[in-house]
Amino acid sequence: MRKTLDRKLSRRKFLGTTAASGAALAATGTGLSRVSFAAGHTIKIGFLAPFTGPVAAWGKPGYDGCLIWADWVNAKGGVKIGDKSYRIEFVGYDNEYDAGKAKTGATKLIKEDGVKFIMMLGGDTWPGVEKIAEREGMLFSTLLPSDLSPDTKTLVAPCEVHPIYNVTGVEWLAENKKNLKTAAICAQDDALGKPSVATYLAAFEAAGIKMVDAPLFFDPATTDFAPVMTKLLAKKPDILCLDTCYADYVHPLCEQAFQQGYKGQIISCTADFYQVIVEKTSKDFMEGFVFQFPDFDDPALNAKEVNFVNPNEFYAEYSKRYGAKEWSAVSWEYASIMDLWADAAGKAGSADPGPVLKAMKAGGTGKHAFGDAKWWGKELFGIDNALVGNWPVVVIEGGKAKIKAFKSIPAWWAKHSKLMIKHMTALGQMWNQR
Amino acid sequence: MPEPAVAPSGSRAGSPAGRIVWRLRFALLFAVLAVLPYLLSYSQQEIAVLLVINVLLVSSYRLLTLTGEWSLGHVVIMGVGAYASALLAKRLGVPVPFSMLIGGCMAAATAAILSFPLFRMKGFYFLIGSFAAGEIIRLIWKRFTDPFGGPKGLKRIDAFPNIDTGFLSIDFYEPVNYYFLALIIVSISLFILYRIERSRIGLTFHAIHWQDRLAESIGVDTFRYRTLAFVIASFFAGIAGGLYAHYVGTVNPTRFGVDQMVYVLVWAIVGGTATFHGPILGVIVLTVINEIVLRGLGLDTARPLIYGAILILSVLYLPDGLESLGPKLRAWLQRRRRGPATAGGEAA
Repeated sequence: MRKTLDRKLSRRKFLGTTAASGAALAATGTGLSRVSFAAGHTIKIGFLAPFTGPVAAWGKPGYDGCLIWADWVNAKGGVKIGDKSYRIEFVGYDNEYDAGKAKTGATKLIKEDGVKFIMMLGGDTWPGVEKIAEREGMLFSTLLPSDLSPDTKTLVAPCEVHPIYNVTGVEWLAENKKNLKTAAICAQDDALGKPSVATYLAAFEAAGIKMVDAPLFFDPATTDFAPVMTKLLAKKPDILCLDTCYADYVHPLCEQAFQQGYKGQIISCTADFYQVIVEKTSKDFMEGFVFQFPDFDDPALNAKEVNFVNPNEFYAEYSKRYGAKEWSAVSWEYASIMDLWADAAGKAGSADPGPVLKAMKAGGTGKHAFGDAKWWGKELFGIDNALVGNWPVVVIEGGKAKIKAFKSIPAWWAKHSKLMIKHMTALGQMWNQR
Repeated sequence: MPEPAVAPSGSRAGSPAGRIVWRLRFALLFAVLAVLPYLLSYSQQEIAVLLVINVLLVSSYRLLTLTGEWSLGHVVIMGVGAYASALLAKRLGVPVPFSMLIGGCMAAATAAILSFPLFRMKGFYFLIGSFAAGEIIRLIWKRFTDPFGGPKGLKRIDAFPNIDTGFLSIDFYEPVNYYFLALIIVSISLFILYRIERSRIGLTFHAIHWQDRLAESIGVDTFRYRTLAFVIASFFAGIAGGLYAHYVGTVNPTRFGVDQMVYVLVWAIVGGTATFHGPILGVIVLTVINEIVLRGLGLDTARPLIYGAILILSVLYLPDGLESLGPKLRAWLQRRRRGPATAGGEAA
């Protein structure tokens, strides 16, 4: 009897403590945000991307980068808009790369958090948000300009014009390794993989590199990449192209290529957490691996054309807070979009979406992270809402990513636009086919 | 894997007094459901809409499990309803309410066709077979960009038409309005599912689950009854798909992948499948924890971990699901009430 009583009391205590802790936590959370609002000098920015699930590598590191951006900007007195300086606060929502959850998240950010701008990864999640953006007139950004269409008037792609920049890697390869004549390509069969394949096919054709086989599309649920790699290597290509595969695929694909004795050239859109791939394979195997996303400790980023503020310091801070191995393709991207937004808000004298968008696109040019660029995209996306300029070509040397060149996307487009449109059309990726 | 038990007799509800109590309980439940959205924030209303749709999904799944078969293709079947309804409305201009109904029928028809190969298998073979069948359907959606939209799926799907009669205006873009629409459709569907389970057909489903050889020996065509359960469950999953597609405005093959199916299984397992309300309890509790409590506590990135821990703990400590909590609580209270007397008796 006494034992039962003791147990009962301890359970009550436990439940009581838990409930009190929960209530305290909830109260603290809401309390803080109220204090911030009461000050009236805070602007909230929404961050609607996957923090969990297979696509998290292109959401969470970007949010982490934004927190650094906010800390730095706020430490310097915030963003100056009109006569006042405003503190920037990010409000994140994990959409799990699901359209339904993205819809809920966008609603929460707009209606409850009162954000002035929402950054998204885009892709499968954008269609769930499109109607809200239209109704509320909210300014959204995407990393995937394949979301753009003439109807998406408040959606911009101001940083990453995926997958068009992939042409720069192939162009550099063709210029610097003239012995490479054939290529094989694989991609996950989804909204990210297909337009990227079309881009690589156009770039290879422009560079005079022949495909040894038709593109190999694998299901996103694939976990065994041995047969994929065996098929890719069967016709002995000079170049192995991993397209825009998610980190969860790039890693096992590289491991498989290593295990199956491949010694040729590899090119990929991303190589997130590439240090882990180097550890799992070897420095020799990864030597010369070409991709598109630099580490921001690269001295080449200190060139005066580069608009990203303090890239080396940003990388150092990121590595200090989260670890160098956590750096991914998107760690800097959302932060660079914020540079553009802050600049536009300052010019507009308002944080409201309409004036900011107008100021952002004024003159048809903008300050892209890698240099001055122009608003472009009418032929490919049906709307000039993508900011396009130079893009870096990155090569792994001695186990470390190094920028080898900045190449111009508009220059490539001026020469080969017909090829791009041909391949995009063949894979049903033009805006009017989507 | 948890097994559905025989339906409770419901004798307490059979007496006139019992019937009044049950009616009062339902009246109270509907009153709560009617007031609920007004107590929620705008985004929580959005969550409530998706929750109501998922209640229908998991309840329809339970009907299939009554015959003893667990499928891994139920979410894909929901997708068949979603895709069919979306395409009918978008391409052929069929009014959305009808397209949703036809979407449900298409899902049922797909199940009827699949039942021929699938019900040649039982148990784990059926489970794997249903997964394979679902993957084939998903690959068809991916492969044929026309009409299914390929990997990107369909977007800008027609919304449920607004009602504007001059004195009454209902905009179904507003989550509170769609919540009530979904609630009405789901309530009707649940009522039908409940009646089926309590009917002679439902009892036959149970008999097939527990003693399929015996059922066959007395003339029950188990293949037909299994097919019937599969078709009915699929019809309602298809309706859930239609509700989803016309609310969110987009569908794609990934949305109906095995990841989503795992969620349905988790809802059913954590809730329990012995009673009609078990899976409903599972989906409500887990959705509230996942989407409201954990997000509210700022534990966004830890949610999969906590979700997994809940699943493990519930399997370890509540193997009969959340539905067993009520009876356990009642038994505990009875023991407490009887405690001193029993203790006295024992002492004597």
